[in-house]
Amino acid sequence: MRYNLTLAWEGLKRYPRSTILAVLTVAMGLAATMTTLALLHQLTADPLPGRSGHLYLAWVDTVRAKPQQNQSLNDITVENYHRIKWDDAQVLLRDHRATWQAPMASVFTEMTGDGEHAPHRRDYLLATTSEFMPMLGVSLRSGRGWSAAEDAARAPVAIVDSDMAVRLYGTVDVLGRGLKLGHGVFRIIGVTAPFSPQPHFYDLSAITFSGSQRDMAFVPLGALLDAGVDLASSDACDENGPKKSTLFGTDAAHCSSLSYWVDLPDGKAVADFRAYLQHYAENQQSLAGYGKSARAELTGVGAWLSKQNVVPDNVRLNAWLAGSFLLLCMANVAGLLAARFLRRGAEIGIRRALGAPRSAIFQQHVFEAALICLVGGVLALPLTLFGLWTLRLQASGFTDLARLDPAMFVALFALALVVGIVTGWLPAWRASRVEPGLQVKSA
Amino acid sequence: MSLAVMLKILRRHALMPALVLFQVALACAILCNVLFLVWQRVQPMVAPSGLAEDELVLVDQVTSRVRPWTGAEVRAGQLALSHAPGVRSASAALGLPMIGTMMIDYTLQSPRGVKVGVNGYFGEGLVNSLGLQLVAGRDFLPSEYRDFGVNHSSSGIPATSAAEPIIIPQSLATQLFGDQPAVGQILQVPDEPDGHGYQVVGVVRHLMRNQLDMATDGRADNTLLAAKRVGDTAMVGYAVRIDPAMREVALHGIREAIRQAFGPLLSDDIPVKITTYAERRHEALESARAALWLFAGVTLAVLVVTAIGIMGLTGFWVQRRTRQIGIQRALGARRSQVLRYFMVENLLIAGAGVLIGMALAYVANAVLMRHYELPRLPWAYLPIGGAVVLLLGQLAVWSPARRAADAPPVVATRSV
Repeated sequence: MRYNLTLAWEGLKRYPRSTILAVLTVAMGLAATMTTLALLHQLTADPLPGRSGHLYLAWVDTVRAKPQQNQSLNDITVENYHRIKWDDAQVLLRDHRATWQAPMASVFTEMTGDGEHAPHRRDYLLATTSEFMPMLGVSLRSGRGWSAAEDAARAPVAIVDSDMAVRLYGTVDVLGRGLKLGHGVFRIIGVTAPFSPQPHFYDLSAITFSGSQRDMAFVPLGALLDAGVDLASSDACDENGPKKSTLFGTDAAHCSSLSYWVDLPDGKAVADFRAYLQHYAENQQSLAGYGKSARAELTGVGAWLSKQNVVPDNVRLNAWLAGSFLLLCMANVAGLLAARFLRRGAEIGIRRALGAPRSAIFQQHVFEAALICLVGGVLALPLTLFGLWTLRLQASGFTDLARLDPAMFVALFALALVVGIVTGWLPAWRASRVEPGLQVKSA
Repeated sequence: MSLAVMLKILRRHALMPALVLFQVALACAILCNVLFLVWQRVQPMVAPSGLAEDELVLVDQVTSRVRPWTGAEVRAGQLALSHAPGVRSASAALGLPMIGTMMIDYTLQSPRGVKVGVNGYFGEGLVNSLGLQLVAGRDFLPSEYRDFGVNHSSSGIPATSAAEPIIIPQSLATQLFGDQPAVGQILQVPDEPDGHGYQVVGVVRHLMRNQLDMATDGRADNTLLAAKRVGDTAMVGYAVRIDPAMREVALHGIREAIRQAFGPLLSDDIPVKITTYAERRHEALESARAALWLFAGVTLAVLVVTAIGIMGLTGFWVQRRTRQIGIQRALGARRSQVLRYFMVENLLIAGAGVLIGMALAYVANAVLMRHYELPRLPWAYLPIGGAVVLLLGQLAVWSPARRAADAPPVVATRSV
């Protein structure tokens, strides 16, 4: 091993020009691949490790209107229904068939502190019910969450993000203070640490990926509606509803505007809940006459994210492009190595004639190839960081996530090693085939 | 030297030619696909807009914070803008070129059964305000306009009692009606076969769509102007045609007019954007430009790496055969013959590589198309990518081949 390493190192030094060329080529290929993979890795990471595996989005279609069937030839998808009406959410909450469940909607609204000349700020808050906390695993810095009883009583209580607390009150010590939302005053009962899963999977209509935007407060849905704050958007509304959905807000009672998430521990629970939802949809008498079949769906987090095309196709395409570029670089380096190894034909022949087995020759050359690629990997690191930095300069909503985490850092070197061994295989094999006698004669 | 001999030599030393072939095939496959992606991004940049670009100022995101604007308020804004200094005409509009905040989606079906997806633009007097060139038919009559606003976040376009007049660009007319004159023709909505449909009353030379990612493959002009006046609406934009000599004055005037017409009710969250067309175009094409830089980098890297690879391998191979070349030269082969031998040899290897590469490019595109939203790679890109790689191969082999040709006959008498 030591001997092989020494030989490999000596080999590198013997042809400095081709060594530099090979190292640069490998570094370029690795950096391109690593840059695109790092971004892809960040974008496809599990938003809530350990939890998202048993979270499901529940949907029933109870909108009293004809289904929209406009097909678009402009790649605009109309059919992305996934939200339910407040009335249905209340029934599902009451039935309580899942371990935990909560309707959710992110709302962009004005938040004002207490006192005169209180600072105010418009930002996102999450309107939901009490069980969001154990379900999503939101952790509190201080105070408590609200209870199901407070949900039922539509109690005006709120949990704020620690950053928001500092912005509005100048301190994180805000328990018991008032937060003005709409025309109501909500009493702060808890302060959370920043909670920002990427992507914002539980309500993609507001935020998808973002380093800076997140839900800055959590409030009971019923109390928020009582305070006159409307939800932001909806999938569809009842035809005969009194108040329809506008750019100024949507009518939660008559428009499907809530994402309803449930926590189901195992396959049986999932099957049971699915049957329960379908049964619920079939029992909707009010839907008769709108020409709809009873529709209910239960979608896991992974399926939900891929259905919504959360990771842009471009990112995946670029990863493929970079991967094929790496392959090209490897072919190039394999060529450089083959030329270099065969140039040494004479000395390989002498070594073989002196009794070195083929495997020793093979090993030596694979070592040399791996060493070149490892040096390339070291050089690829700053190149990758540079590539990620240029990605971050582009403003396209998700590029601020382009960072290299330690796992990817390790992956880079593993990749470099694998590339080295794969690249060196063929030239090293060719070198080990050199006939001892012939070379000795001609040399 | 005959081809058979050349192939025999290649077969006897298979490793080097095989590595060159593999590189050429990969480079060809990558280049074909990248060239295609480049052309997809370039098309929206080079498509003619049909607008009076130098004279156009776009006002976008005029949004209220409390209630929808009424049709009267929208028209008062239009009046104030058209009387601003330096302004020639102004139209309230829903959907504006180069602006993606509001896109209107139509599907049209011609009597021949051709279905086309287009983007619509709504607004009174847009032909004049956008500076469109009518090539057939007429502009809308004032009496033809119907009010339309955006209040419902999921709003359909309401049904009318008669065929609704529309104006379409020339290339869309050709797609729908072929050589027949478009004016007077009726178009249907595929989902509503019983509807009254739309009647073409005019044809303009060009009008670019605002869904820029669809402005490719001859679809850049898939647009229509509908005879709709902006009514009660939560958000509105304006197309303002100005005197280009008075641009600064006009921009100032437009800002003042918007402030006076809508001032206190304007939303703080969504600021009004007032920009020249050129600025908006620059902004709208920013991501396409970034992608182009990326592809340019990839292309350059692929070309450099392939060239280095071919040069390195051929150089080594030439060096190995120095003695044979010397013998050939001593036996009377001319330098040009030696040079030609290596060039032809490279052409042979690269040619085989290009053939494999083109097949690979096609397969890769087909696989990617299955998983991602990517159009099919047109055949035409294959020979282009292939030719580029072949040329690159010849350039790369030139210097090692020259060195080989320069080998003096005397080396043959020396032992290596």
